[in-house]
Amino acid sequence: MENFEKDKEEEKLKSRKVKRMLALAVTGAVCVSALGACGSSSDSGKSESTESSDSGESSGGYGDLVMAWWGNQVRNEKTQEALDKYKELNGVSVEGQFYQWNDYWSKMATAAAGNSMPDLIQMDYSYIEQYVDNGQLLDLTPYMESGALDVSNIPENVLAMGEVGDGNYGIAAGVSGNCLFYNKTVTDELGITMTDNMSFDEFVEIAKQITEETGYRANVLSQNNYFTEWSRAEGIPIVEAKLPVASADEYTPFYQIMEDSIKDGWQLTPDYIDTTAVETDPLVYGSSPETMAWCTINGTSNQLTAFQSAAPEGTEIAVTTIPTTDTITSNYLKPALYFSISADTEDPDAAVALLDYLINSEDANGILLGERGVPASTSIADYIYDLVSETEQKSFAYVTDVITPNCSPINPPDPTGMSELTDTMKKVAEKIGYGEATAAEAAQEVYDKGIELWGE
Amino acid sequence: MKGKKRITTVLYHVLVFGFGLLMLYPLFWMFMSSFKESGTIFTTASQIIPDKFIITNYFNGWKGFAGISFSTFFKNSLFISIVATAGTLASSALVAYGFSRCQFRGKKILFAAMLASMMLPGQILMVPQYLWYQKLGWVGGFLPLIVPYCFAIQGFFVYLMMNFINGIPRDLDEAAKIDGCSYYGIFARIILPLMSPAIITGGIFSFMWRWDDFMSALLYINDAEKYPVSLALKLFADPGSSSDYGAMFAMATLSLVPIVIIFFVFQRYLVDGIATSGLKG
Amino acid sequence: MRSDSKLYKFLNKEKSAGVIFCLPFIIGFIAFLIVPMGISLYYSFCDYDILSPPEFIGLDNYIKMFTGDEVFWRSFKATLYFALVSVPLRLVFALIVAMILVKPTKLTGFYRAAYYLPSIIGGSVAVAVLWKRMFAPDGVVNALLGVIGIDTKFAWLGSTKTAIWTLIILAVWQFGSSMLIFLSALKQIPKDLYEAAEVDGAGKVTKFFRVTLPLLTPTIFFNLVMQMINGFLAFTQSLIITQGKPMDSTLFYAVYMYQQSFNYNSAGYASAMAWTMLLFIGLLTLILFKTKRFWVYDQE
Repeated sequence: MENFEKDKEEEKLKSRKVKRMLALAVTGAVCVSALGACGSSSDSGKSESTESSDSGESSGGYGDLVMAWWGNQVRNEKTQEALDKYKELNGVSVEGQFYQWNDYWSKMATAAAGNSMPDLIQMDYSYIEQYVDNGQLLDLTPYMESGALDVSNIPENVLAMGEVGDGNYGIAAGVSGNCLFYNKTVTDELGITMTDNMSFDEFVEIAKQITEETGYRANVLSQNNYFTEWSRAEGIPIVEAKLPVASADEYTPFYQIMEDSIKDGWQLTPDYIDTTAVETDPLVYGSSPETMAWCTINGTSNQLTAFQSAAPEGTEIAVTTIPTTDTITSNYLKPALYFSISADTEDPDAAVALLDYLINSEDANGILLGERGVPASTSIADYIYDLVSETEQKSFAYVTDVITPNCSPINPPDPTGMSELTDTMKKVAEKIGYGEATAAEAAQEVYDKGIELWGE
Repeated sequence: MKGKKRITTVLYHVLVFGFGLLMLYPLFWMFMSSFKESGTIFTTASQIIPDKFIITNYFNGWKGFAGISFSTFFKNSLFISIVATAGTLASSALVAYGFSRCQFRGKKILFAAMLASMMLPGQILMVPQYLWYQKLGWVGGFLPLIVPYCFAIQGFFVYLMMNFINGIPRDLDEAAKIDGCSYYGIFARIILPLMSPAIITGGIFSFMWRWDDFMSALLYINDAEKYPVSLALKLFADPGSSSDYGAMFAMATLSLVPIVIIFFVFQRYLVDGIATSGLKG
Repeated sequence: MRSDSKLYKFLNKEKSAGVIFCLPFIIGFIAFLIVPMGISLYYSFCDYDILSPPEFIGLDNYIKMFTGDEVFWRSFKATLYFALVSVPLRLVFALIVAMILVKPTKLTGFYRAAYYLPSIIGGSVAVAVLWKRMFAPDGVVNALLGVIGIDTKFAWLGSTKTAIWTLIILAVWQFGSSMLIFLSALKQIPKDLYEAAEVDGAGKVTKFFRVTLPLLTPTIFFNLVMQMINGFLAFTQSLIITQGKPMDSTLFYAVYMYQQSFNYNSAGYASAMAWTMLLFIGLLTLILFKTKRFWVYDQE
């Protein structure tokens, strides 16, 4: 009803504006009639679903609830299907809004500025802290305590992923692990077996051998992803808005590894690395071994299927742990992404009920099929294991059998300023890749940026 | 003499045609890629003809996302682009005439304001504009994508038309004025018909820009059923998972069709050139 | 309306007519531009991260920009280079092609489309994919070089020297809009001027320099101003094709500003960058307008 009123108001506004348009009588007529026609058609399409409560206001939609996410065609399809099922089961309609990754964050930022975020939002590990800091997300703790949100099947460590400060602000929509993807076809041909929890020195030996014999190089050090693993293994991870080191010297060894890897020739140089899409990653894209990588750490285990389907025919992509000096410390489980509830929601109970459905319902997950990663609930994960593809099963097994027994808790979500520091690290890694900076210079630049952002 | 002329003509066509093909190569690549199997687009990037022509990309793409097909997106885009373009052209023509033919106090400041508004990077206005349209209650509908354009807020078009009107000899105005024609009459009867090349050019641009614009759609439209094509096209590519590039190229190709049609229909008027006749003054 | 009524007289005074004709813009400017612009100007003096309310900090953003931010200067230089190279190239191409295509032949429609169409795909994802593939080590550019005997696996987008050129080439390739404007201006040149020149015995070259070029100068000026503004505000190409890589050599000003605003939670700083850019372009435009009387043919 309210929407109808709003439409009418809009209509009025429109016609007033139109009248002002001097000689635009013709244009105006088209404008008004066409807008009117459009408004009413979408109205009639949705009218059946707006019977019950009306909390879609906050985001200007028509449904009872609004859920937003980023993703590809498959995810859009499956999620909408699960939401349609929800309506069928509970009579609550949920409008889906979906965007491309970058666009999603621009959209959420502006919506947050206007206090009009969708009710249920897909959240990312690198963004959750800043949204919590600014009071944009709903603390789920009370709902967990009251049982409205059933978390009994979610392991402690997975539940802890959503903790920021004193509250819990997100349920992992899928669990995945940090990992090394490699071209198993290449290693098999050379008779090399990649064992899980390999040490870094063993890895370097293998990397050198592969480069020498095939021309393929490894891609583990550029793009900065390795920094997290390395700093965890060394006991100096960044866990708050403050650098954990006393001087730049402590970062030099990391950049020394990087410098050596380029000098020794087993690390792919950055001019061949395009990681903007799975399909262009040098692991799967390239016309000759010289421009390609035989392994990469650019990604998390839930992307195995994506890498496998982007790989050329006859190439098998496999997954193992990221080699460090201490893999038990450096390995960790991470949320592939979260489901969070916006603090702007007008009906938190309804939003929590939807969240509960997405996490605990066999109906929902039978449709979603772990597309976002291994479901947080162990019983649901067991339930869908048999339903997913063989590649997906491997990815599941990696999380449950390889990482889970051999890992340490994840770092707290990225502090504010981390994205800028990360960008600096990427640029520094690039410089080393091009031979434009020494390890010591690189370490100093990163250290200085950290100090600039967070102080001594 | 005649032979020489023929050679020049042939040479002209060979050169212009050849260079034109070079210009079109990337488009042709995209077109051809839309018939390749999605998984082979990157691996066969340097080969233009697909090994196997398939049209499934068009079906996969057209079905859209979450049950909303591209026919909806196209309808939305057409509606937004056509209305916003009509509004832009009409309002810009009026303002351009005012700027070009009338002297009044504050004109210079107004003109400067118009230019200045073009110099501020649009990305920085995203948040303030969103907050403003939210105040007006327009977020969630097509209004922010259409109404502002009906008020000549794009200086480009005003300036474009101004420039053109400046090129129309003033004697015509003076003559009409002596005949008792008002400013409004002069605009409607003399200037408007004479400036049709500028209006057509502007129309082609405006339509194209509205068609390509996804930023304002991203910010102001919430309901997926109201997405325009420009926004929908971006949904095919997801950096974190598999993307259906075949479907994306197929829909990207289709999304060019309306612009191409508009161009072909209207560029004829640039050949016939209304302005060239009747300008004896 | 009677032609001697007071209202009629008022409406038909030059001053009031001017204001009335400009009314759409005056309303539009007040309703849709002035408020957002004002807000962003205010933000530029604030510590603002979009998610929480802005906090006034005076000139700090501007001071940081000019004294403590190397990336700012790098992005400014990259943008300056891009604009100064691509804008003139684009205009020259557009003018030449327009001159060639003004002559009507049976194929003119097709030719115009061929030269105009590249600009319609603008900054879509498709063009990003395409451009990256063309300049990839195994892309068509290297394949063409292979044909003329240069066998290379050079990654054009991976070198600080060549990456920005791929963006410049993209900008020049999309010269269609300027070309179209030139075409419509060429069509506007009265035929009798050419006829008069012919009577005076002028050849093709003389006609071009005596008639065409002078009458085109206002359009050249217009294109120059517009393309310059566009050049300095270039955004999409850098964002979707290179993301500033390698080593910030293609990090355009507007992209860095966008990152500050949406990735680094410094929307206040980004606003300060935007207003600095406005002043810079404004100054350049002012200078251009001052030079106008030396080379732009005045139709008044």
